[in-house]
Amino acid sequence: MDLFLQTLLNGLLQSGIYALVASGLALSVGVVGIVNFAHGEFLMIGAFLAWAASASLGLDPLLSLPVVALAVFGVGALTYRVSIRHVLLAPELNQMLLTFGLGILLQNLALMLLGGNTRTVSTSYQASSLHLGDLTVGGPKAVAFGFAVLLLGALYFVLYRTSLGRQMRAVAQNRRGAQLIGINVDRMYLLAFGVSCGLAAVAGVLVSVLLFASPTVGLVFALKAFAIIVMAGLGNLTGVLWASVLLGLAEALVQTYVPGGGGWSDAVFFLMIFITLILRSFRGAR
Amino acid sequence: MNAVSARTALARRPTFVWRALLALGLFFAAALVFPFLPLGDHREFLLQIGFFTLVAGIMALSWDLLARSGQVSLAHAAFYGLGAYGYALMLKAGLPWGAAMPLAALISGLISLLLGTVTMRLSGMYFAIATLAFTEVVRTVIQNLPESVAGGANGLLVPALLGGNSRGQYLLALVLLLLTVGVSLTVRLGRLHHAFAAIRQGEETARVLGVSVVRYKLAAFFLSSVLAALAGVLYAGKTFFISPLDTFSLANSISPLTTSIFGGLYTTLGPILGATVLRVAEELLHNTVKNGYLVVYGLVLMLSILWLPRGIVGLWRRGRHGGDL
Repeated sequence: MDLFLQTLLNGLLQSGIYALVASGLALSVGVVGIVNFAHGEFLMIGAFLAWAASASLGLDPLLSLPVVALAVFGVGALTYRVSIRHVLLAPELNQMLLTFGLGILLQNLALMLLGGNTRTVSTSYQASSLHLGDLTVGGPKAVAFGFAVLLLGALYFVLYRTSLGRQMRAVAQNRRGAQLIGINVDRMYLLAFGVSCGLAAVAGVLVSVLLFASPTVGLVFALKAFAIIVMAGLGNLTGVLWASVLLGLAEALVQTYVPGGGGWSDAVFFLMIFITLILRSFRGAR
Repeated sequence: MNAVSARTALARRPTFVWRALLALGLFFAAALVFPFLPLGDHREFLLQIGFFTLVAGIMALSWDLLARSGQVSLAHAAFYGLGAYGYALMLKAGLPWGAAMPLAALISGLISLLLGTVTMRLSGMYFAIATLAFTEVVRTVIQNLPESVAGGANGLLVPALLGGNSRGQYLLALVLLLLTVGVSLTVRLGRLHHAFAAIRQGEETARVLGVSVVRYKLAAFFLSSVLAALAGVLYAGKTFFISPLDTFSLANSISPLTTSIFGGLYTTLGPILGATVLRVAEELLHNTVKNGYLVVYGLVLMLSILWLPRGIVGLWRRGRHGGDL
C-alpha cells in the first residue's frame, strides 16, 4: 500500500513540470495557432541559463528563475517578430517546418557552443528529503513542484481573472471577432508566444535542478507536452492540468509495476497519445 | 482561378510535362554516369555520398506521394526502420536478399494499411502527432523486445548488400529511385493525381463528388511506405548495422519532409533536386564548419520557408498555376 501511495505521489510531483511545459505549448497552440516544435528548445535554453548563472555567479537556480524567464520571454517575442508572424496565414505544413527548423537551429547551436555533455547544477538542498508519514519526497522535487503550482496558479489567474487574460482568450476563440472589438491581435500573439517560451524556460530551470542541462534535454519534455495537449484537445487550457496529472500518474505506475518499466514507460505514453487521438477521431471530435 | 486562366494553364501543360521529363532525364543520365567517372582517391567516399543522396531522394519522394493525399506524416522513419529490420531479420532467417527485399517492403506496406485505417479520420496536426507517436511505439517495442528477437537496444548486424560492391549498391539505389519516380509519375499523370489533389484540398467535398476517400488515402499510404521500406533496406545493407535509435530517429521522419518542401512540394522533380542539393550541401558544410552544419541546415530550412515557400522548383515557375509535374 505504501508503495502504491509513494508511486502516486511521485507521479503527481512529476506532473507539475509537465503541466508547466504543456501550458506553455497550449498557449502557443490555442492563442497563436502555431504548434511550436521548438518548444523543447526554449526549455533547453532556460536550463542552460540557470546552469550558467549557477556556475559563473553562484546563483541558486530558483533565484535566477525570474531573470531567466524574462530573458527567454524576450527571445520568444523576438522569434515571433522575425519569423512566426510571417507564416501565420501560411499552410499548416509551412508553420510546422518553420518551427522544426528553429528547433534544429537552436539545438545544434547549443551543441556547437557547449558540447553534448550534460551539466548538473548543485544546490544546497540537493540531497535533502521530506518525510510525510511513511512517504519520502526528494527536496528538489518538492521545491520544483511548489514552484510549478505557484506559477500555474498565477498563469490561470491572469488568464481567467484579468482583462489581459480575457483579451488573450478572446483572440484564441475568434481572431476576427477579437479584432473587431478593438483588441490588438498582433500584440496578443506576441505576448502569448513570449509567455509560452517563458513558461518553457521556467520548466527548464526546474529541470536543471532535478535532472541536468543538455542540448537535447528539451525533446522528451516537448514530446510529452504534445501528448498532454493532444489529450486535452489542442488549445484547451484547463484540460492541460488534468491531462498532465493523468500522464504523470500513468508513467509512475508503469515504472513501478511493470518489469523493466523504465524502457516501457515511453511506449505506454505514446500508446496513450495514439489511442486518445484515434478514439477522439472516431467520436467525431477533431 | 477563373475558367480562362484554367484553360491557358491546361494549354501550357504539355510543354511543362516535357520540360520536367527532360530535367528528370538529365538527372538520371548524370546519376548513371557518375559511378563510372574516374573519381580518384575519394571514390569510395563519393560513391557513398551518391548512394545516400539516392536514398534521401527515395525517402523524400515517397513522403511527398503521401503528402499529396493531404496526409502529412511523421511516420516515415517507422516504415524506413520496418524495412531495415524486416530485411535484416529475414536474412537472419536464411532468406536470399532478392526475396527479403520485396518481402520487407510488402510487410511494411501492409502495416501502413493498418496505420492508415486507424488514422483515417485525423487531419493536420492530429495526424502528424499520431504518426509520430506510432513511430515511437514501434521503436520502443523493438528496443524492449528480448535481444534474441531483434537485437534490442544494441541493434543488429546486417550482411553487406551485393557483397559490399559500392558501384553495384549505388546502381541498385538508382534503380529503386527510378522505380519511385516511375510510381510518382504514374500517380501524377493518372486519375490518382486528381483524387489525391481533391482529397488534399477538401476531403468532404471530394467525398461528395464521389471520390472514394478511404481507398485513395490507403493507396497513398501503401505506395509511400513500400518505397520508404525499400530505402530502409538499402540503408541496412549499406551500413551493415542497424539500431532502434538510429533507424527510427525523428530525423528520419523530418528530413524527407524538409527535403520535399525545400525542393518543391507535390512535384516529382522537387524532392529529388532537394535531396541532391541538401545532401551535397550537408557534406560540404560537414567538411567546412564541422559540427555547425546542422545549425546551417536549420537556418536554411527556416529561410526557405520564409522566402521560398514553393521550393527550388518554384523558382522557375513563379506565378504559374497548375501544370507542375
